[in-house]
Amino acid sequence: MADAPRLSHTSAMILQAVATDHIYGYAVIAVTGLPSGTVYPALRRLEKDELIRSKWEQQSTAEAALRPPRKYYSLTPSGEGALEISRKRYPLLAKLAPMEEVEDV
Amino acid sequence: MTNEWLPHAILRAASLLAPGDRRAEWVREWRSELWYIPSHGATQFCLGAFQDAIWVRRNHTRALKGGGLHLESPICCLAFLAVLAAVSLVIAVHLPPPNLPNMPRHLQVRDLPGGCGAMALLSCLMLPVIRLVMGRAPACFHAVHWPNRVRGGIFLALKIALVHPIMLCSFLVGISIAPVLPFVQLGICATWVLAFRWVLTDQRRRCPVCLRLLTDPLRIGAASQTLLEWYGAESVCARGHGMLHSAEIPSSYSDYPQWHRLDDSWQGLFPEGAGRR
Repeated sequence: MADAPRLSHTSAMILQAVATDHIYGYAVIAVTGLPSGTVYPALRRLEKDELIRSKWEQQSTAEAALRPPRKYYSLTPSGEGALEISRKRYPLLAKLAPMEEVEDV
Repeated sequence: MTNEWLPHAILRAASLLAPGDRRAEWVREWRSELWYIPSHGATQFCLGAFQDAIWVRRNHTRALKGGGLHLESPICCLAFLAVLAAVSLVIAVHLPPPNLPNMPRHLQVRDLPGGCGAMALLSCLMLPVIRLVMGRAPACFHAVHWPNRVRGGIFLALKIALVHPIMLCSFLVGISIAPVLPFVQLGICATWVLAFRWVLTDQRRRCPVCLRLLTDPLRIGAASQTLLEWYGAESVCARGHGMLHSAEIPSSYSDYPQWHRLDDSWQGLFPEGAGRR
């Protein structure tokens, strides 16, 4: 518990967004309302801190859908831990994109 | 139609800020995202690319050892200034004499202390004014131990002292080219103000404990979407001594930067451990 990183509100929002299936940059922007100049550096910082990891979509999958490949983000185990702590610190995070609703979809 | 080229031009311009070896992937990522953005919001979306490119460059440069200019450490900063000061003094001594009645000869080595003294007098007048204009220095919630404060004071004094030869050189270059270029005096004054401003800004961007430059700046909050909540930027000491919060919009509770010391619970996140004073 003492070793868990304490996240800023913005970082926690982005982590929550990624956890609720908003797994690429523009989806995070859309759900959080944060500007692109905040979201992309924050995603890089979270990745650097090993709270999220990124992966490029397969070229063939994107080509089949006639669109460019996207970079997808997912939470790491330490990211999940950090998010759990942040949810206690920022209770309103759950309103951003409630986990239950996303799981129901 | 006319707007279609603009987001790509913005991305192209922003990509120049990204480090060369990461530029291709950086552009690929932004272009890929841009493809999905509605055209009416594309320009605004791409403006954020500048912040991202700056972030990538800042963090990339730090990761590359031996490349670029590293002024994070106070020793490196002083060494850099000392080299600049030495070069400035050499230039000052070898400059052709200005065409002025009261200065008919080259500046000689024995004139240098007097010249630097004059610059020191000038700095005594300018520094307090610039400091006043820049606002208050970061406040520390926890008292900084006196040896660290003394070290910080010595570091600041050395920086100011090393800036004087550079200012003297700029002054001599200025009066040498004054007959050719108009408004040179304004340029000299601007150089002095910028030099002093850099000295003070650099000091404020350093950790009060280890005097290293703070890193990983991150914007927190958004002006239009934050109600009664702190909004600004947060930078952290790479050795885990603390964080600097700088409010974007001054308010009654955050009208100047605030330094927050990190306690020992942060120790695991930093290579040298937090909480060491």
